[in-house]
Amino acid sequence: MERYTLIITEKPDAAYRIASALDLNGKAKKVEDNGVPYYVAERDKPIVVVPAIGHLYTVAEENIGRNYYPVFNFRWVPRYIAERGAKQIRVWLETISKLAQGADTYIDACDYDIEGSIIGYCILKYACGGKENVARRMKYSTLTKEELEQAYEKPLPKLDFALIEAGRTRHEVDWLYGVNLTRALTLAAKDWSGKYATLSTGRVQGPTLRFLVAREKAIRSFVPTPYWEIKAEIEIDGKIFEAEYERDVIETKGEVEAVLSACKGNDGIVESIEEKRFQQMPPTPFDIGALQSEAYSLFGYTPRRTLDIAQRLYLDALISYPRTSSQKLPPAINYEGILKSLSAVPEYNRFAAELLAKKELKPNEGKKEDPAHPAIYPTGNLPERILEEPERRIWDLVVRRFMAVFGEPAIRQSVKVCVNVNGHRFILRGRQTIKEGWLRFYEPYVRAEEVLLPRIEKGQQLRIVRVISEDKFTKPPPRYNPGSLLRKMEEVGIGTKATRADIIQTLYDRKYVRDERMVVTDLGFEVLEVLKRHCPTIVSIKLTRNLEERMDKIQANLEKRENVLSDVIEILKPVVEELKSKENIIGEQLSKAVRKARLEERIIGQCPICGTGTLMVLYSRKTGKRFIGCTNYFKKKCNAAFPLPQRGFVRPLGKKCPKCGWPTVHIRIKGKRPWNLCFNPGCPSKEDRT
Amino acid sequence: MKCSICQREALHNGFCELHAKAYENIVKKYEFWKKALNISWKEYLREVAKNPFTGEWAKEVAEHLIKTSGEQSGT
Repeated sequence: MERYTLIITEKPDAAYRIASALDLNGKAKKVEDNGVPYYVAERDKPIVVVPAIGHLYTVAEENIGRNYYPVFNFRWVPRYIAERGAKQIRVWLETISKLAQGADTYIDACDYDIEGSIIGYCILKYACGGKENVARRMKYSTLTKEELEQAYEKPLPKLDFALIEAGRTRHEVDWLYGVNLTRALTLAAKDWSGKYATLSTGRVQGPTLRFLVAREKAIRSFVPTPYWEIKAEIEIDGKIFEAEYERDVIETKGEVEAVLSACKGNDGIVESIEEKRFQQMPPTPFDIGALQSEAYSLFGYTPRRTLDIAQRLYLDALISYPRTSSQKLPPAINYEGILKSLSAVPEYNRFAAELLAKKELKPNEGKKEDPAHPAIYPTGNLPERILEEPERRIWDLVVRRFMAVFGEPAIRQSVKVCVNVNGHRFILRGRQTIKEGWLRFYEPYVRAEEVLLPRIEKGQQLRIVRVISEDKFTKPPPRYNPGSLLRKMEEVGIGTKATRADIIQTLYDRKYVRDERMVVTDLGFEVLEVLKRHCPTIVSIKLTRNLEERMDKIQANLEKRENVLSDVIEILKPVVEELKSKENIIGEQLSKAVRKARLEERIIGQCPICGTGTLMVLYSRKTGKRFIGCTNYFKKKCNAAFPLPQRGFVRPLGKKCPKCGWPTVHIRIKGKRPWNLCFNPGCPSKEDRT
Repeated sequence: MKCSICQREALHNGFCELHAKAYENIVKKYEFWKKALNISWKEYLREVAKNPFTGEWAKEVAEHLIKTSGEQSGT
């Protein structure tokens, strides 16, 4: 084979798309070497497109071993050297190195962001024998044929070294934090108890846990206060309308009684009518955070799940690159072309036609920008396979949002009618859409509340059917959910668009939090307590944000990697020393919390047979099999025992069976759909099934 | 000294840091309840203990105060 151009991509799917787009016949040849796929495309000269599988290189300590800290010396190594279970990477790198030898031109076509740039840079530098300085860079935001061809024909002359430098620093800083602090906590607990449990923390993970703990404390020590609301039911043209009292909140029972008594038996007089028209502007295009929040509130998808789905849609060339913080849609993406393509879908046809009929297409852009990518938008390509339901939903959401941003503002009208009942004022409110504007493009994801009032005139006398009071209590602050926590991280500027979802997932994986409405576990409390007491700087939001800003400055050539790294080591040195000197106390505190957390995981609830014991997941000494048994068994007071599936993961659900009131468990077995189990053999739900 | 409710170290009024904060809230909010419903300290504690919006630690403190026929400091 003659000398060829070697293109490196981040994932196999992207390699296939790029090779197919660049091949003159649209059919690149797939080749496998030791199980590693790559593609050969024919153009002006042969092109070989070889994928990575995400990061092939990582940061690791210079010396071997995992059971020591502090660690401040590091190097970049192939992942198979640093991580267990990454053996496949060795074969992968061998194939890339082999292919690099036959090439005369090198192009980095990994995603154009920090992570993609590091992936491409490391491969070119280490696997291709120092080709990072001669390689060119393909920059694209969608995997459509047109954009890929353009990116290939007009590549950037060199890699974006500032972006790479910022990315390297971020990885190195996070590694320094993670490895030192996680080892300090984990080894302290292990040395004290003799048992191993990973207790991780990191530069962003610690401050994020701090938000959750602060909220948890506020909720758990919350004391409600009573207040009252008063409402009047008013009859107009034979229909009953509810009006609110002029004061939203009444603080004493005495005042409530005085109002009720004054209004009793009196009619109301319409004192004033106010009408207001207002514009409701279209939404801004999706950046990744907004998409994750919207998908969480509409479909309950976690940020991680939404990102994964969006990534799949991107690799299918259905939407643009999702890891973007931009709220801008430049005209270069060809609004008209996208809308024309989308009009082939019957559900979008009418809306696309309406937008195409406009004199000018101008999106309602937000303020946020991203130098590498525009906001998320549909490419106009239609699915080539049947999308799974979650994929279809996210694609539909992206399409409708895209159309909505070009819509006209909606015009809404509010009416406020003030009714005087014996000196007390009640407010009747009406709301109505005058002009739908963008709202109809974004349905069913937005619904305008419509409350139509009949015709009312000033001075009109109205019959008051009754005036009632409602007992209310102030409520604790809401728990964070993955969506709102992600927004909070964005708001305070910690983590990046690519890492926030993973950090939230890690908090779950480490069992620092549980449930969708995030509850901090005792283990989460103890870990934060240790960090706050012994190394408050580590959980300082200000310090974390400051580091983020400095790393962003590296990207803009305004800060040096070496300065940031040496400052980070200066921050970490005293912290790690402090942790080491208190290893015994910390170890005891954390070990007890781990033990408690493990025990709590096994507690199912109160025993419904004896009423005093606790049901737990126990293991038979004879057979080693697990079952649910009562703690009173050991006192010879209760024989309650129930079988459990022997495989998979069992978790107390914390809810009672709606049919029999017994505690229930959640079972998860790999490869099967998880289910909730009522283990009561006499539960009526079991009879229903027969 | 241990916290009267949990096994943590007691810091103020015989409570750990967490239960002390809940105790502080209970004392502070009594003024609002008294004004709103004109109720006694003991009635207030019973109301707080059974209210679904009361936080777990505040509930534990209220129940503890009821059990030990708790007196509000200064009352």
